[in-house]
Amino acid sequence: MTYFLQRLLLFVPTLFIISFFIFMLSKKAPGDPVLSLQQGGGILSDFSDLEFQEKTYRETAAFLGLDKPLFYVSLQPAAVPDTLYKFIYPDKKRALKGLIGQYGNWPLIEKYYSLLGVAEKEAYQLPDSVQGNALRQLRTELRLMQQHYKAEVLQAKFATIEQLFHEDPALAERMSQPIAALKAAWIAMITETRIDKLWYPGFHWYGTENQYHHWISGVLQGDWGKSYLDGSDVSDKIWRAVRWTLGINGVAILLAYLIAVPLGVYIATHANSKRDASITNLLFMLYSLPGFWVATLLVVYFTSPEYGMDWFPALGYPPYDPDRSIILTFAQRLYHLILPVFCLTYGSLAFITRQMRGSTLKVLRQPYIRTAYAKGLPRRIVIWKHAFKNALFPIITLLAGVFPAAISGSFVVEYIFSIPGMGKLTVDAIMARDWPVVYGILMLGALLTVAGILFSDMLYASTDPRVSFSKNQTNRS
Amino acid sequence: MNHPNPAGQRSRFWQNFRRQKGAFRAWRLLQFMIFIAVFADFLANDKPLYCKIDGTHYFPILKQYTVDLGLSAWPADFVTRRWKEQDYQKAIWPPIPYAAQTIDLKNSGFISPFARQRTNKLSERHWLGTDQLGRDLAAGLIAGTRVALLVGLVAMAIAGSIGLLLGAGAGYFGDSRLRIHPLPAILGIISNSWIIYYWLVSRTYDLLEGRLINNLLMALLCGTLVTGSLYILTRTLQKRGQLQHGWAVPIDALVLRLIEIVSALPGLMLILGVIALIKNPTIYHVMIIIGLISWTGIARFARAEMIKIRSLEYIQAAQVLGFSDGYIIIKHALPNILNPIIISLSFGMAGAVLLEAFLSFLGLGLGAESVSWGSLLNMARSNVAAWWMAIFPGLAIFLLVFTFNLIGEGLNKALERAD
Repeated sequence: MTYFLQRLLLFVPTLFIISFFIFMLSKKAPGDPVLSLQQGGGILSDFSDLEFQEKTYRETAAFLGLDKPLFYVSLQPAAVPDTLYKFIYPDKKRALKGLIGQYGNWPLIEKYYSLLGVAEKEAYQLPDSVQGNALRQLRTELRLMQQHYKAEVLQAKFATIEQLFHEDPALAERMSQPIAALKAAWIAMITETRIDKLWYPGFHWYGTENQYHHWISGVLQGDWGKSYLDGSDVSDKIWRAVRWTLGINGVAILLAYLIAVPLGVYIATHANSKRDASITNLLFMLYSLPGFWVATLLVVYFTSPEYGMDWFPALGYPPYDPDRSIILTFAQRLYHLILPVFCLTYGSLAFITRQMRGSTLKVLRQPYIRTAYAKGLPRRIVIWKHAFKNALFPIITLLAGVFPAAISGSFVVEYIFSIPGMGKLTVDAIMARDWPVVYGILMLGALLTVAGILFSDMLYASTDPRVSFSKNQTNRS
Repeated sequence: MNHPNPAGQRSRFWQNFRRQKGAFRAWRLLQFMIFIAVFADFLANDKPLYCKIDGTHYFPILKQYTVDLGLSAWPADFVTRRWKEQDYQKAIWPPIPYAAQTIDLKNSGFISPFARQRTNKLSERHWLGTDQLGRDLAAGLIAGTRVALLVGLVAMAIAGSIGLLLGAGAGYFGDSRLRIHPLPAILGIISNSWIIYYWLVSRTYDLLEGRLINNLLMALLCGTLVTGSLYILTRTLQKRGQLQHGWAVPIDALVLRLIEIVSALPGLMLILGVIALIKNPTIYHVMIIIGLISWTGIARFARAEMIKIRSLEYIQAAQVLGFSDGYIIIKHALPNILNPIIISLSFGMAGAVLLEAFLSFLGLGLGAESVSWGSLLNMARSNVAAWWMAIFPGLAIFLLVFTFNLIGEGLNKALERAD
């Protein structure tokens, strides 16, 4: 019992590290999540109204929790302020990071940046009708300056603004004061640097109000976020897909076991005969056959009229039709599933048969089998009653390993046969850059794999009392 | 040498391997594929191997290598005119006179190997057909051989070195044998974390400018330098009788935990998730990622073998004689645990080849300009009538995977018999 508890406890840090890793990966995904969600979720943003646009942006960011710090603690150069996360626009944050990375004196950088905002706002408050082109260009320049951090680029921008003032004295009259203040702040920022603050790290503790906490507690409570594509719940999408994947894999693995176990025993009892050799070789070949090749071949030859073997329905699934009887619907689905299930079965079949053969051979060499023969028991009873049970046991624990592998394999099959399962969902989500779905699936996959390992360890320990924790540590290979 | 004659053991191992017909044939087939991969440019190319134009002799394929290296340049005439349209006095063409990317406009739109082809000579025939754009399938397969073998090799080189290092270290030292005096240990941890901090956190500007790889290499270099000098310093002090009592480092437990974490990550999904983040994924990204997640099996093998070996007499004798741990691991232990590692490397290569083929089948692994077996196979999906696009690339993938699996199996049996 303590073994189980220890094992469970050890999985907590494992899961924590894995979830942190996946979270960080998801944060590196290209694109601005706020804009992606706004586009997909149908939240209209009026691009002419700057203030309204900013308001909806802020609200969406807050809804996604992006206005919070990233993690419980932050480890950043001491020059970086602990409130940098409050800048929610990614390009602004990027520019600020670039400035800090070059100059390191946050108060001056902040002053420069806020003056930049002030100048932009003033430029927007000037009536459009008074000034023409020059004002419009000044606005764009000021907007762009907020996204740049390189000294030479900023220098060029200041020169352009000078040029604009030169062209349009009326604009110069109104705007020269904020621009002069801005330039002074810029010069102060690039001259009075504090590079030394970049050399040592600063720690900051943010508490539980952070994005990781928000995300992981959502994941644990079943809230996996919203899809960028249509704004629907990720958990719903994944659940709909998981049913297909589990369904076809369950059938495939069941079939594989039903065929593999007797076959394995059969070739083990005829070991080293010609038949054993040919079956073993055939299985080995099957095992090396790439699933996506077989699936492609089946699709090419058996679902198109091209070669006169159009025996199976084309790809995809017929939509659910309530008028059709249940039996007919079921039969139709079955018909669609024959090829994919075949593709999923043969690989596991080859693997399980080989293992079954090995484990049966091992058992048949045991002294108690010889005793049973010596007692004069018939061969059938010795094999099926004495040897079979013990040989079957390691094969059952194999399930924990076979299942994740099969799900990996079903990626291929689902993609090729257009079955709306996890594999197709993942590939489609990657192609559509729908990151919440991609990393939701990755997290679920990790959870399932960890659960599988845990399950097989416990099954092993519960049936083999010799396995203790320390022993397990040294014997796992 | 204090150990039981590994050379003799290895030759017996090799003899046992040769005795298995299937595996040995697979080994020959692999050699053949390696030959194709190495000489791919000379087997399928749109340039002649040798030609004579206006009395001058050229070796265009060889010259291409020097041009690629920046050592020489093509005469203007070669750049402006196609290779097929030059006025040759004499020319020797490769067996397949097309490169993987050569577009034969006259034979575009999926031309079957058996169909009538618009070619001038028999030697210009597309023996395995063409794809939609008119690219020769045989040339594509030859270029793909190089990609597939390179993926297997690089991925397993990465996985093998990580797995061997961690596994052998964990197995040899266990939880108590590696003792480090707290002083250099703490110094090492502090200086190395500062190096990592400096290159990968503090230099924000560099990172924004996309110089991550550069910084990573610098961090690695600085870390190695600092750790190395600390190590040498400690050794010298220890020889003078200082810093004797160290703390045990539970290296075995740490490595086991790391293995557990990495193997709990679902491989295929993780690769898809990481590749999606890279802006322009190339074959090298794929290799590195495959290598970085597939070392756990090798590490487990190496660890288990090392545990078996570390209590053997010859290792203990070497320890008593006062050889250093590093020397014992490299010189005495590694040669004897190498055979099982080679077996798992062989199976690992099969897995890596399969994974890469699948990724390019999905169109996620490579850039559009490179050709691999998987991307060729994918073209069969757009036109089911093109049976040659479905059969030949898939057959190539199968053969290579099967070859590696057979070799692995053969080595395994050879090892069992040698024991």
